[in-house]
Amino acid sequence: MNSPLTQPLPLAGERSQTLGRIARQQHRFFAFCVAPSLAVLAVITLLPSLYLLATSFTQLNLTRPETLWNFSQPFESYHQLWADTRFHNSIWVQIKLSFWTVLLQLLIGLGLALLLNMRTRLLEALRTVFLIPMVLPPIVVAIIWKVIYTPDISPMHGLFRAFGWHVPALITDPHWALTSIIIADTWEWFPFTMLMVLAALQMMPQELLDAAKVDGASPWQLTWFITLPFIQGVLLVAGLFRLIDSIKAFPLIFILTDGGPGNVTEVTNYYSYLQAFNFSYLGFSSAITVVLLAATIVLSWVIVRLVGWGARID
Amino acid sequence: MTRKSSHARARFLMHALAIALALLALSPFLWLVLMSFKTNAEIFRFPPRLFFEATWANYAALWTSEFRNSFANSLIVGVVSTVLSLLIGVPAAYALSRWTTRAGGTITLWILASRMAPPIAFTIPYFLVYRHLELLDTLTGLVIIYLTFNLSLVIWMMRPFYDQLPRSLEEAAWIDGATMWQGFCRIILPLSGPGLAATAILCFLFAWNDFFFALILTRTEAMTAPVAVVNFMNYEGWEWGRIAAGGTMIMLPVLVFSFLVRRYLVHGLTGGALKG
Repeated sequence: MNSPLTQPLPLAGERSQTLGRIARQQHRFFAFCVAPSLAVLAVITLLPSLYLLATSFTQLNLTRPETLWNFSQPFESYHQLWADTRFHNSIWVQIKLSFWTVLLQLLIGLGLALLLNMRTRLLEALRTVFLIPMVLPPIVVAIIWKVIYTPDISPMHGLFRAFGWHVPALITDPHWALTSIIIADTWEWFPFTMLMVLAALQMMPQELLDAAKVDGASPWQLTWFITLPFIQGVLLVAGLFRLIDSIKAFPLIFILTDGGPGNVTEVTNYYSYLQAFNFSYLGFSSAITVVLLAATIVLSWVIVRLVGWGARID
Repeated sequence: MTRKSSHARARFLMHALAIALALLALSPFLWLVLMSFKTNAEIFRFPPRLFFEATWANYAALWTSEFRNSFANSLIVGVVSTVLSLLIGVPAAYALSRWTTRAGGTITLWILASRMAPPIAFTIPYFLVYRHLELLDTLTGLVIIYLTFNLSLVIWMMRPFYDQLPRSLEEAAWIDGATMWQGFCRIILPLSGPGLAATAILCFLFAWNDFFFALILTRTEAMTAPVAVVNFMNYEGWEWGRIAAGGTMIMLPVLVFSFLVRRYLVHGLTGGALKG
């Protein structure tokens, strides 16, 4: 095999010809590689999104066939949405859920990452152990918490009884239902922020810490003035990812509370699901979903800008 | 000397705290696994006995029920959607890594957004279209909708991977007269092994873990394991032992595979938002 090093170098003219040929071929080849993916993505994501948008301009109800492709009142669904107090409530529930889960996950993830950021074999093994909640199938997480929140078989309620405390079933209590979802969701996803912070901590230049130590900084000062500023970008990105994901919360709510009691755990995503697949109001549900999708795209755009993809020049 | 011993004590305390927290964090999960080996009477006993007679009855009951088909469905859909995503996505990831186009930012946003979109945004149109194409309750239907997240995942995972491979590798081959395609197949692909393996596993896991799409788009024939477990709750009363056994069976492959790709997890979940 000829490697370029053992081959005699081509003359200057030949060389630029070769490079020109390569550039042209390259262009064609790359287009050929990208085309199938873009075509498939267009068919499976772009078209459905447009279809969703179109449906949101109808009053589609599967039990009434005449509503199919009926665009006589295109903005009716959005009008209803604007006035729908149940929709407003769902947004408020979503805000509460997102705020608390993201905040708790960031705090717990950060705390654990700082605790586990030592290169000992035990702690490195524990890092893997802490990942388990995140990798479990979401439906299994929901089952796990269903067990814990069901008084008859729950070890937690058993303990409460043993202490003589009277604790109501949390997921059927209006004051506690959302909190119990927040706890379960935090448990499921704290490993994510932990993992991201750990990865960032591992990239921290050791000289920085050493220099501060030589200057007599205490561990608290090190964490507060050196480590935290270094990882704040990662915390922001991790928080945004969790924020977007929290909009999709479904299995936990589906299994634990079904949006209830009343509507106290009915987030917007869940409300949309109920409208579409319980009540058959697909047109109205599409309008809700368009709002959700728009929020997702805006947040994704923020991430893309923050991380600086696309703007990169290699 | 005293400074050193206080350092050792702090170290010991940190390890103890870490172990205690790990046990606390894992106890809900361990409880479910234990439950899957208990008889119904044992499940309702409090305080629980540490040493109870383990039974395989829950698993045996699952194995002789419809659950076995659902488990197989999950496997088939997971594998097929993984293979398809890799076939379509890997060349694109390579090209997007090497090709500097102005559309790069738009394509990235598109891919990220389709990864991030709430599942219901796709479920409504897919549900409506599948009714006409007769793809409801079919494995094909599931494979197609799983491409919405897995294809983006492949491009996301593999692009940063190829960014790290030096261009000089395939350029040398081109100068030697190899075609682009040969350069990709003979030079780049053999070097992608670890990245491909990690990506394949993550794709499989995302398909395997899906609940929402399968809940809406399947009924009986193509039902996947996560939906089947939930059905134990709805129709057959509360069979906790079987639910726990089903849950444990679903998470078993996940735990094994996740352990293998733990280093790539951040990457797969954030698409290399973080280099590391």
